[in-house]
Amino acid sequence: MLSQRLIARTVARPAFVPSSLPRIVSSTSRWSRTYASAAEEKDLVIVGGGVAGYVAAIKAGQEGMKVTCIEKRGTLGGTCLNVGCIPSKSLLNNSHLYHQILHDSKHRGIEVGDVKLNLKQLMKAKEQSVSGLTKGVEFLFKKNGVEYIKGAGAFQDEHTIKVQLNDGGETSVRGKNILIATGSEATPFPGLEIDEQRVITSTGAIALEQVPKKLVVIGGGIIGLEMASVWSRLGSQVTVVEFLDQIGGPGMDLEIAKSAQKILKKQGINFKTGTKVLSGDKSGELVKLEVDSAKGGKAETLEADVVLVAIGRRPYTGGLGLENIGLELDERGRVIIDSEYRTKIPHIRCVGDVTFGPMLAHKAEEEAVAVVEYIKKGYGHVNYGCIPSVMYTFPEVAWVGQSEQDLKKAGIKYRVGTFPFSANSRAKTNLDTDGMVKMIADPETDRLLGVHIIGPNAGEMIAEGTLALEYGASSEDIARTCHAHPTLAEAFKEAAMATYAKAIHF
Amino acid sequence: MNATRVLRQAAQHAERKPSIRFLGKRTIPVSVDHTPQPHPASPTHSLPESFKSSHTTFSSYRDHAQQFGPLRKTITAASAGIGGKAGSDLGPVAAPKGYYFDRNELPSRFHRAPLTAAEIEAIETGGAASFA
Repeated sequence: MLSQRLIARTVARPAFVPSSLPRIVSSTSRWSRTYASAAEEKDLVIVGGGVAGYVAAIKAGQEGMKVTCIEKRGTLGGTCLNVGCIPSKSLLNNSHLYHQILHDSKHRGIEVGDVKLNLKQLMKAKEQSVSGLTKGVEFLFKKNGVEYIKGAGAFQDEHTIKVQLNDGGETSVRGKNILIATGSEATPFPGLEIDEQRVITSTGAIALEQVPKKLVVIGGGIIGLEMASVWSRLGSQVTVVEFLDQIGGPGMDLEIAKSAQKILKKQGINFKTGTKVLSGDKSGELVKLEVDSAKGGKAETLEADVVLVAIGRRPYTGGLGLENIGLELDERGRVIIDSEYRTKIPHIRCVGDVTFGPMLAHKAEEEAVAVVEYIKKGYGHVNYGCIPSVMYTFPEVAWVGQSEQDLKKAGIKYRVGTFPFSANSRAKTNLDTDGMVKMIADPETDRLLGVHIIGPNAGEMIAEGTLALEYGASSEDIARTCHAHPTLAEAFKEAAMATYAKAIHF
Repeated sequence: MNATRVLRQAAQHAERKPSIRFLGKRTIPVSVDHTPQPHPASPTHSLPESFKSSHTTFSSYRDHAQQFGPLRKTITAASAGIGGKAGSDLGPVAAPKGYYFDRNELPSRFHRAPLTAAEIEAIETGGAASFA
């Protein structure tokens, strides 16, 4: 009876939909006294203090806007600074030093005594780097007049963000413009519960309290391979299980990916490519994974003390209250935006991992600057065809632009030039000669289409390729630019020479 | 003398012109089209219907603009919103038989005033709690 009544009410409701009536005042404001200063409207309210959010906040402050940034983690910098790029680089750098002292110093003429790993101190060094940088961002907020609220923000309406403060209580902020920059989280593996102790994501992988004897990494992308490198160097027996036939993810050039796999295998990392994980069981002393060939074959069981799930990341919009304003997400949970980062509600914009494009901190930074410029000046710029990717293993792998397989797939003609580091004088003196520079250019115009590097300092060297690609340079332009001798960058110049003519030293 | 000039001209032609050229001071275009366009990294390369504005020109917007009803009386379609249709066309205001409205479905100024815990206790105790 009661349910019938409720249905009848629902049916009859449209005649009295309050939203179609002009809203004059709310019942509370009608009878209570309010003060104009109580609800000052900001020019920009940013939800999320990660790389996208904090960069947008600083830029907005520099542009003279009244800006508030809401972050619930308690520290600024998001995944990148707190549990991603920065702490992992600390571990990668220091584990590389440890590994080099152990295995690569004697033949260089350096004999060292007893070398011991102090994992606690290694983690402390990582934490020092992180806290230094996050505090630095807080200082930049103060310097640029950004209001920083520590709490979880959710949409109350199209202009108001309600914040559950970390210290208790709540507040709300109104903004003429609102920017969603809530980032991403690690994608869990179905059927294998993450506990960050034995089944971990990248967050757990940078905070293990002891070196696991056996580590299995599910996913041979950039995050998986970087963490595999860290723990392999520190003494773990590491196996990487990758569904695709190549490591490094879909963006990495196939020739470079094969080369990277060969070098990392030489360093002691085992690979199972073209392999899918069927199920996982962590009830016993060791975590067990049932794996099988991706194309079907003989199943086998892998055992590990710790399993790292690194199968990708997904947009994070939990608790944001998007349902309160009717914002749509696409089938992968990304906020749908247009070319000026506007959602369907034009004053609400969105940048970073939570929307389209690669989930990279530097892409988020570019977008953050552009979105503020769109709001303030009506004109911004991000070139999505020119965003570099770097894998910080040793040697590093870096690329920008299109790969050979991309161009083949698109039916675009191209010319390739390569130069190995084994023919580069500086790499020779450093005794780090693994890898090469590969350049791809248009065969008719010679315009640069892509640069792929595997080798020492590839992550720094790719900046030159990115600049050339952004400016629309030809390989001859690079080849005719003077590069200092002896430097690793000469390999870059020689690869350009090899693309339009011939390399001198190879 | 002539031979030198010819040689100089030939040398100028032979000089390589780099693809990268300085374009001068950066300027913001005078008119920028702000019509929603698909994001360059969007996998579908399209925008949902909800992004498309029904008004492509100011006059079209003005035709549909409202202030206590449509400004242009030619807009009479139900989609024009409040005032688009005569009140009598909307049907009876009274609920049909068997249907009920709650006053909390009306604008908030008509809602019941919230009860305080003391009031509830006073009602439950027949007023005795007020004198306890």
